[in-house]
Amino acid sequence: MKRVSLALSAMLAVAPALAAESSDPIKLTLHDWSGQLITTKLMGEILKEAGYNVEYVQADYIAQFAGLKTGDLHVAMEIWETTGREAMDEAFATGDVVNLGETGLQAIEEWWYPAYMKERCPGLPNWEALKDCAEEFATPETAPFGRYLGGPVTWGGFDEERVEALGLDFEVVHAGTDAALFAELEAAYQRQDPIMLWVYAPHWAPAKYDGEFVEFPPFSPECYADPSVGVNPDAAYDCGKPRGPIWKVSWAGVGDKWPGAKKAIENFNLSNADYGAMVTEVDLNGKSVEDTVAAWMADNKDTWSGWIAK
Amino acid sequence: MIARAAKSGWLFWGALFAATWLLSTYSFQLYKALDARWIVRYPKGWEFPLEDHISAFLDWLVESAGFYFFSFRDLTRAISALIEAPYQILRNLLVEGFTSGVGDAAVQVAPALSWIAVIVTIMAIGHYARDWFLSVLVGACFLYLAVFGQWESAMVTLASVLISVPIGVVGGLFLGILAYRVSWFERMLRPVLDLMQTVPVFAYLVPILILFGFGPVAALVATVIYAMPPMVRVTIIALNSVPTEVIEAGRMAGCRNRQMMWKVLVPSAVPTLMVGVNQVIMLTLNMVIIASMIGAGGLGFDVLSSLRRLDIGGGIEAGLGIVVMAIALDRASQAFSERSARHPLEGNILQRHPWTGTVFLVIASTLVLGRFVPAVQTYPDALTITTGPFWSNTMEWINVNFFDTFEAIKTVILQWLLLPVKKFFAGIPWAWGIIATALIAWRVGGWQIGVLAALLMTFIAASGLWPKAMVTIYLCGVSVLIATLIGIPLGIWAAESPRAGRIILGVMDTLQTLPSFVYLIPVVMLFRVGDFSAMIAVILYALAPAVRYAAHGLKEVPPPLIEAGLMSGCTKRQLLWRIKLPLATPHLFLGLNQTIMLALSMLVITALVGTRDLGQEVYIALTKANAGQGIVAGLSVAFIAIITDRIINALAAGQRERLGV
Amino acid sequence: MTTPVILDCRNVWKLYGAQADTFLNTNSSPSSADLEAANLIGAVRAVNVQIRKGEIFVIMGLSGSGKSTLVRCMSRLVESTAGEIRFEGKDLLSASEEELIQIRRKKMGMVFQQFALLPHLTVLENAAFPLDIQGVDKKTREARAQEVVELVGLKGREGYFPRELSGGQQQRVGIARSLAAEPDIWFLDEPFSALDPLIRREMQDEFLRLQNILHKTIVFITHDFDEAIRLADRIAVMKDGIIEQVATPEDLVLQPATDYVAEFTRHVSRAKVIRAASVMEPIDGDSFAGDVSHDAVIEAIADPVEASDLPHKVLEDGKPVGQISRKAVIDVLVGRR
Repeated sequence: MKRVSLALSAMLAVAPALAAESSDPIKLTLHDWSGQLITTKLMGEILKEAGYNVEYVQADYIAQFAGLKTGDLHVAMEIWETTGREAMDEAFATGDVVNLGETGLQAIEEWWYPAYMKERCPGLPNWEALKDCAEEFATPETAPFGRYLGGPVTWGGFDEERVEALGLDFEVVHAGTDAALFAELEAAYQRQDPIMLWVYAPHWAPAKYDGEFVEFPPFSPECYADPSVGVNPDAAYDCGKPRGPIWKVSWAGVGDKWPGAKKAIENFNLSNADYGAMVTEVDLNGKSVEDTVAAWMADNKDTWSGWIAK
Repeated sequence: MIARAAKSGWLFWGALFAATWLLSTYSFQLYKALDARWIVRYPKGWEFPLEDHISAFLDWLVESAGFYFFSFRDLTRAISALIEAPYQILRNLLVEGFTSGVGDAAVQVAPALSWIAVIVTIMAIGHYARDWFLSVLVGACFLYLAVFGQWESAMVTLASVLISVPIGVVGGLFLGILAYRVSWFERMLRPVLDLMQTVPVFAYLVPILILFGFGPVAALVATVIYAMPPMVRVTIIALNSVPTEVIEAGRMAGCRNRQMMWKVLVPSAVPTLMVGVNQVIMLTLNMVIIASMIGAGGLGFDVLSSLRRLDIGGGIEAGLGIVVMAIALDRASQAFSERSARHPLEGNILQRHPWTGTVFLVIASTLVLGRFVPAVQTYPDALTITTGPFWSNTMEWINVNFFDTFEAIKTVILQWLLLPVKKFFAGIPWAWGIIATALIAWRVGGWQIGVLAALLMTFIAASGLWPKAMVTIYLCGVSVLIATLIGIPLGIWAAESPRAGRIILGVMDTLQTLPSFVYLIPVVMLFRVGDFSAMIAVILYALAPAVRYAAHGLKEVPPPLIEAGLMSGCTKRQLLWRIKLPLATPHLFLGLNQTIMLALSMLVITALVGTRDLGQEVYIALTKANAGQGIVAGLSVAFIAIITDRIINALAAGQRERLGV
Repeated sequence: MTTPVILDCRNVWKLYGAQADTFLNTNSSPSSADLEAANLIGAVRAVNVQIRKGEIFVIMGLSGSGKSTLVRCMSRLVESTAGEIRFEGKDLLSASEEELIQIRRKKMGMVFQQFALLPHLTVLENAAFPLDIQGVDKKTREARAQEVVELVGLKGREGYFPRELSGGQQQRVGIARSLAAEPDIWFLDEPFSALDPLIRREMQDEFLRLQNILHKTIVFITHDFDEAIRLADRIAVMKDGIIEQVATPEDLVLQPATDYVAEFTRHVSRAKVIRAASVMEPIDGDSFAGDVSHDAVIEAIADPVEASDLPHKVLEDGKPVGQISRKAVIDVLVGRR
């Protein structure tokens, strides 16, 4: 891989022009899910091609904002609209953190079930089917209610409210981390046991397991805010979860210190399909993140060289 | 007299339990009847906003606190830089190699130490510490890391161990010396040490990140905070147990204070001090996973990311990587603690230092050879083995074939044990909870402990954490009960049959060093998210001390007493029940104490599978980067631990007094 | 006796317990009952002893008698509650910390019951330790350490560690260490109590041999009366913190001052204590079988005196002072006297 990048940098005339900027390393944060490692390493390698010094720093998804504010950390490549909004708003308000635009990826979060459950609850994916077959999803602890495995409490999601508003006979159980979430899915899938849980995409799980998202009434801000909107005139949250982009975020000083790098990061844009393919390579086929990123860069040279040329 | 005491004892405990049970069962009715909601819920208005104060204080500390010429943060950042420098050198040495220049212009000056060189070095240390057997053992442990493809991660972990252990040891030694010399300092230090050991690490990760910056240094600092207390304690004990005559000999030789410390006390205490070093190493390795969450990387990160993508085999392999590393470092440091000063060898410099010579020779030759033969520099990927698929397949097989059985057992335990106990604890009105705890503590340990217990429980209630604290106590209580029920018989078995003992204690060692994450995920797969999974994980982790102390306690029974029992015609059974177990009770109490401490520390980790206790509160605070919330919840966990510790220690002391040992 | 007093203890007290420091202000000579009532332990009570230059002064007592505390008061390892201790004419109790360090470095040596060797140092390094503390350079101190190690008969074992030596050998190292700085006064706190009886005897001989060469002023603590009479010039018998009697071994046996001392001396083999001068008769003839010294103990001269029909002449400073006959010796041996 080293050899590939050397050859590439030799071909790029832009490198010297950008190298005039600060030679301090740009610190990109790494979290613990493969997709984020891929976007971050991809960005990092591209910045290296452009002649920047890059450093990867392991940091917690939410805790990193403290570092972004002080300039200890510089760039976070994946802040999900769905889970990071609060933290982003708080950080943008200080003026020390800025939004570098969308990654091009669209986040989906919703109730999800494996395909084999369709036989037991034929009306799916329409949510109204759940009214009649909640018991199919029951476990001894929740019977006669169905069991819905929600994400960690910190993810929010208003599932208790949704169950209430839509009149679903489900009990919401929260997993502590997403590892626990998918561990249950894996186990249930192996046994072909009933399960209904919170899945998000882009992620390897929808690629690995055959299944679908439940189709709730589509989300609108009014549905969350105003009880009268939606199927239940007396309750809010009577609709699905919001979907939204995944954002790139940086320390405000990045633009001054490495203006070229800032542009390159803003230009970075990846499709759900490309991302999904790379995540599958890493998580399901056991390829290393570095190799996967290098392969993508070799195949899409025109795309990314455009990002740093401007 | 004795009969009366026993009777009043029964009366006390019986009445206390009956009152608690009644209040727990009918608290709701009581609230309705009196229309006093404060009975079941601690009123919001009475809550003390400590959380916000702490957060505000930390903000002030980070943003504006300053001395004359520099801010507090400059100070912590300077410390960071001080730690970072040697850490980076070690990383270069072990993992990355030395380069000059930045970015693409970087040129490698020298590669990292080859895997062969590292293994030879560690073998040399093993042989120096004891003998060839140890040398081969530690060599094999490190070879495992190479063969199973964990080398690079393992070296990252090793680099952080090599930095945090010396800091922990030297820091602990100096604090210990200061406490030995200055008695008010020791009195002040003791509660701080208690807190350092009982406040869950998650609770102070956020402030540390803020103060020391993101990245490996913050992880090292957190590790040091966690791993240092035993070194302080061991230092105090070691210095206090230097024989009086040796100290007098020093004084009669005319030692000044400094000479006394460094020429007499510390050297005489070295064997005991090495026990502390060993403890620091083991705790450092315990922290590997948590440290990797805030940027330490290495094996801990491999465990986390494997489990994140449900690569159970990968997680187990990386987890076992931590275990073998722990075994190697543990055995080597133990050997050093038993090693006594030796005679220097005679001859020229090479003959006097055969190992140093060999090591340098190997380093130099692999450096040169590695340029031409890459396999010498880096263990070839083609030769690595993985057992990943085996573990994943085994897991699937168990899951598919035994899930129903597990489910049935789980339902029974949930119905008959977990839920009733949970209901009982959740129902206790907070005010009575405080009173009852104080009464128990007073009865067992006297009025000081009673007052302490009341104050600490009030803190928890005033922080608005009462319901979560009750869930914590319930989960911890049930887990400890089961761990004790399994652990003590295992310990007895281990003590009675040496062969079974070796295997049982070996398994316990592995369970304790194996990062709990490794079995957390399989447990979730088999038992689903919920209290039951948390309980299983806690039992697995907290079993070890129950087993170990039971085995140790039985082995410590003085042989003359056993002989006396045999000569009175005791059967094996009578010997166990009438003589050995009663005499071993102080040890059993200690084991119980340790089991509870470990269970509490594990509860924080089980928050990751989803529990609704203080552990979850701490974890939520971490993910929201709310320093105040984390510290308050962490302190609550610590306070429960401290109350239990004091009560059980008082019980054990009473028992020891009764037995006259 | 005109030899000068090196260490002079006057009315030394050491009390343990609450208010131990102030108690003596109100009652300067409390009885056992007074102490008990005040919940105090009188480890050393009103002790007056004078240690003279060059003598072996043994403090003898059973465990708990306060003898170890007394010797620690003398070296100020333990601070006395009251009294006066003068060492070489200077007030020891008012010496500053610095003066005390200098006194201990240059003038005092001490041997301990459990040897108190430093486990990480070799025999030679242990012996050189007091000099190391004084900052003596390595070459000089090792040369001196080598001398004392050879003096105590450990030549060839300089490089051994304490754990590699037997108990007797370890105590030889302890002795060597205490002698390294050439002290004026030598404290030995039950130095041979931890040793087997056979080794103990050997070490006593060794000790006497050393004293013959060195002529130190010695304070020797023991609980073993046989050891005391074997080594002592003078013995102080201690009980419950009080010195019952100070006397030569012979006087102790012949004229015990208290019942306690008498009880102690009753079973002592008198032949080991009584000297020729005590049982000699006036000279009444001019034919003698041989000469004996006036301060020889009976046990030592019993064989030749018993074997001959003629009496032996007793000499003091080369001059005849009396004669000793077979009967006198047998009287002592069978306990008639």
